[in-house]
Amino acid sequence: MTSACEAATRVLPGAAVIELSGEVDGSAATVLTAAYEQAVSADHDLGTVVLDFAAVDYINSTGIALIVSVLARARAERRKVVASGLSPHYREIFDITRLSDFIELFPDLDRAVSQLTPPAA
Amino acid sequence: MTQIARSTPRRLDAFTLASEPGNERLALARVAGTVQGLGLSQARLERLKTAVAEATMNAIEHGNGNRPEIPVEVEVTQNGEEIVVAISDQGGENNAGSGPGEGTRDGRGDGQGDDAGGHEEPDLARKLDGEQSPRGWGLFLIRNMVDAMHVTTDGQRHTIWLAMRTGGAAHDERM
Repeated sequence: MTSACEAATRVLPGAAVIELSGEVDGSAATVLTAAYEQAVSADHDLGTVVLDFAAVDYINSTGIALIVSVLARARAERRKVVASGLSPHYREIFDITRLSDFIELFPDLDRAVSQLTPPAA
Repeated sequence: MTQIARSTPRRLDAFTLASEPGNERLALARVAGTVQGLGLSQARLERLKTAVAEATMNAIEHGNGNRPEIPVEVEVTQNGEEIVVAISDQGGENNAGSGPGEGTRDGRGDGQGDDAGGHEEPDLARKLDGEQSPRGWGLFLIRNMVDAMHVTTDGQRHTIWLAMRTGGAAHDERM
């Protein structure tokens, strides 16, 4: 299935950022998994993965399932997952599904990064 | 749960979609356009859109088995302050008598749709511990997005009814 989801990964000191765009649905599985692999392969001691949803315009139930899978894997690897840039609607869905009990939510990526990475020397 | 009133409804739109993955986005967009200006707040419109997309996806995948030649039918009606979206497939008696969260399509998935994860209420902690499939959020989302929903089956025709009040629902705003 062609994915309407894209992911850009960058590794910062102490955290990796996966900037998602488009649609997070079932077709995003390969994209999201590859992005996570890329993020953690760059630093095996990586403590935090930031999922940025600012450019995501659609998340459905299969997308929620993908996020659950990423979260489960990260927890098994003792990594923290945080999210930024969710719209109010998807923030509500993260609350209803209780994802927000396990994923700290930040209003935007800048605030997530500023709290998760050490200040520049 | 609130019963969905159906006395003298006014039909706002009716259309069909081919049962192809992704077409739920078409349903979502068209229903959103139809109900625009009827008094739903932005937050409640977003909830209705999610419910319509999930119900349509369920109809496409589990009701009609992703067979494009079998259409999903969508009807939008208004009855006073209530908007009702009815989404029908030909999934038939596999869902007979099913109501929200019981005997639904959850148990008959083919691994494609999200409701392939069994018909337990989704429990995120259990999913994270591997005790439940990561899937199984579709009906849960629908139930939590709309003011009322119910399911009817008439022969092969299976319909999910989604209701949303346009007015007097400010107390229900969660955002």
